[in-house]
Amino acid sequence: MSDKIECDHCHLEFSKDVMIEDEGHYFCCNGCQGVFHLLSDEGLDSFYKKAKGVKLDPQTQQFEDSSNFDAPAFYDKFVKRTDDGFSEVSLIIEGIHCAACVWLNEKALINMDGVVATNINYTNNKAKIVWDNDVVALSKIIDMIRAIGYNAYPYDASLQELKANEERKDYYLRIAVAVFATMNMMTIMVAQYAGYFSGITEDIKHILNIGEWVLSTPVLFYSGWPFFKGMYYGLKTKTVNMDTLVATGSLLTYIYSIYITLTRTGEAYFDSVTMIVTFVLVGKFLEALSKKSIADTLDIMSKNLPSDVKVVVNNEVVTKNVNDILIGDIVLISAGERVALDGELLEGNGTFDESSLTGESEPIYKSVGDSIISGTVSIDADIKYKTTKDYAHSTMSNIVSLLENAMNNKPKIQQLANKLSEYFSSTILLLAAITFVGWYFYSSNFEQSFITAISVIVIACPCALALATPVATLVGLSIASKKGILFKEASQLETMANANILALDKTGTITQGRPQVVNEKVLEKFDTSLLYSLLSNSKHPIAKAVVSHIYDENLHCFELESLKNIPSQGITAMYNGKMLAGGNAKLMKTIGIDVESSSKNSEFYFAYGEKLLAKFELFDMPREDAIEAIVKIKKMGIDVIMLTGDHKQSAQKVASLVGITNFEAELSPEQKANYIDKLHEEKNVVVMAGDGVNDILALASSDIAIAMGNGSDIAIEVSDVVLLNDTFSSLYDSFKISQRTFKMIKQNLGLSLVYNMVTIPLAIAGYIIPLIAAISMSLSSLLVVGNSMRIKLGYKDK
Amino acid sequence: MDSWVIGMMMSVSIFLGSIALVALLWAIKKGQFDDEEKFLNAALYDDENELNDAAKKEKKRKDASKKKEYIPE
Repeated sequence: MSDKIECDHCHLEFSKDVMIEDEGHYFCCNGCQGVFHLLSDEGLDSFYKKAKGVKLDPQTQQFEDSSNFDAPAFYDKFVKRTDDGFSEVSLIIEGIHCAACVWLNEKALINMDGVVATNINYTNNKAKIVWDNDVVALSKIIDMIRAIGYNAYPYDASLQELKANEERKDYYLRIAVAVFATMNMMTIMVAQYAGYFSGITEDIKHILNIGEWVLSTPVLFYSGWPFFKGMYYGLKTKTVNMDTLVATGSLLTYIYSIYITLTRTGEAYFDSVTMIVTFVLVGKFLEALSKKSIADTLDIMSKNLPSDVKVVVNNEVVTKNVNDILIGDIVLISAGERVALDGELLEGNGTFDESSLTGESEPIYKSVGDSIISGTVSIDADIKYKTTKDYAHSTMSNIVSLLENAMNNKPKIQQLANKLSEYFSSTILLLAAITFVGWYFYSSNFEQSFITAISVIVIACPCALALATPVATLVGLSIASKKGILFKEASQLETMANANILALDKTGTITQGRPQVVNEKVLEKFDTSLLYSLLSNSKHPIAKAVVSHIYDENLHCFELESLKNIPSQGITAMYNGKMLAGGNAKLMKTIGIDVESSSKNSEFYFAYGEKLLAKFELFDMPREDAIEAIVKIKKMGIDVIMLTGDHKQSAQKVASLVGITNFEAELSPEQKANYIDKLHEEKNVVVMAGDGVNDILALASSDIAIAMGNGSDIAIEVSDVVLLNDTFSSLYDSFKISQRTFKMIKQNLGLSLVYNMVTIPLAIAGYIIPLIAAISMSLSSLLVVGNSMRIKLGYKDK
Repeated sequence: MDSWVIGMMMSVSIFLGSIALVALLWAIKKGQFDDEEKFLNAALYDDENELNDAAKKEKKRKDASKKKEYIPE
């Protein structure tokens, strides 16, 4: 079709015949036309020039009544009062495609009376709006956002997210200072080292020392403040940690260097102060950077649930907010809608997709009296049902609160480096004390004993020890990301390396998550276009699978008459006066064809004019690389368990196909999570891989949660690891990379310990020459960094 | 060369560098890097109209604040 033209608002292309013409402008729908005129009237039409033809969502959405936004309950939850009497709300604005959208929203809002300030973040679509509640109501503001073609919904800018952002910003500031000082320090160090070899006058050395002093002061006391804080909290709980060693080490080095500078004797070590603080701070920052915020996860979760439902009140259909629905209200659900509240079916029947809760791949047929569960989706059912629980107690809301709980109580395995540093730090501090006492008795020279004791702490440079983990994990993470494996937190590599059990979900994780034709039996030759025309009218997964099985380019669609979808049986239609029927054995029986169903797989029959023509067997096949990867994972000494909500029969079949002996079937989401908790009680470290909403509780309670890349948003959010390329072999790779990385961490820690074992006795004996101290400090760090690079070996060409 | 020359050069360069550092810290604190996209896109919208808008926005804020005795940020 050559006469396609663009809609003047959304810029999507349509055929000219269907467009609405309006004074030389063309629109695809009334919505776009409305927005276009509104923008012109408000003098905002320069938006189109700015957007430069970016394609927008056509304005077709129907919105719930915005008066919900003025309800006191809404205010309590989402609206903050600023100190001076304004109101402030955080919104997520939907439909922002480009910078011009941000411009349009900000401009339209600020033009409103009473709106005091707006700030829209283009990157995450979050907006903060401050307005004067005496002048304009929030619902008016929301109406405006909707009128110009966007939608807004509130989110709880809860403390957690705010705190995470603030923590990150705090690190930026501290690191900026540290890096600035370290870089300047290096230029001075060049002069110092050159002077050490070729001779330098005492005066110049003194001046350089003072310069270093000036530079290292903000690094130690501002950038290094988290370490002092960590030491303080450590002392309070009577534990010695890495922070204690870094803080005491750098503080004592700093004091010692000031002493050296003022008395003009020996070498100052201001450079080690800044280096230690900078390196360890960057290492800490890397670990903090990827910490995910639980708040965001829950935002996505609640976005998945409808916020309003259609209710029958006095024989009239009214749209109400889910929170206002009482037990016993009659709710309407039409095909394609998601259920928000639990209830009991009153009128109508049809199939529901419960895969988000049970993982069961087949749609479930429900008729009067059956229970309706929130979170499920109606496939073809238009029903009325009576609510048996209110929104807060419905299944889906329950899962949200369980999830919140599980994420807050996620098991944390103490990391090797932390454990080690605890012993290491206390040993070093003790050795330093002994050195001081020993030297004092031996020489009765306070100054000399003190300086020797400090040199023990200085030489036990915690730099290498502190870098051992971050550097190795960083290399591990970069290799993993090249292979499409995304670790969300650095420490997870170590936890994963210690795992001894892998729990797998069946549907969508081991299997592909959709049925496929595995067996085809043609009883009588027929025109496949007939079957194609019949099935292209159905959205049922089995119909889709058969269509993709028979599809080729020569197929065409016949005109069918009186098409009928029979819930949980199949689809029928008339063609040339004879009946076309496609469906299961039950459907065949109702149209008078007797078929024997003996297969364990789902079956699909096709008949024309009461004559059976073909039979297809369908099965949700395991992923191609699953068998090989599971064998390899087992070889690593990891037990593989399958947890599924599906029937025992199909679980058995999949398990035997991929070689899993240990499986649990017919588990609810809670039971899956309980099963994992039970494994924890037996001191196992559990990795759980899943993809659906039915897995999220189990994912949240496992030590490491892995989500398949095509999994649901929420599963990906909850997970620690995401397999972007969605293959089973990358699951194996993630185990391999984490174990390799952990081996490197252990080697690194070993190296820095060996280094300390050599140098500390020298320091205790008072033999540390400044040059050796300086060189060995950098050398130990270099060793650790160099060793970490070895993780890359063996991954080069892949 | 006397050592005071080195001292002077060092202090001047550290002083100049710290001005840049303070500017960076101020920008981070004010949240100028929170939205990296907007930061880049700001270059697209900087003609007269946008300047007027910004001034209007500022004025509106002040007026509203005056009414409520609100001090922005």
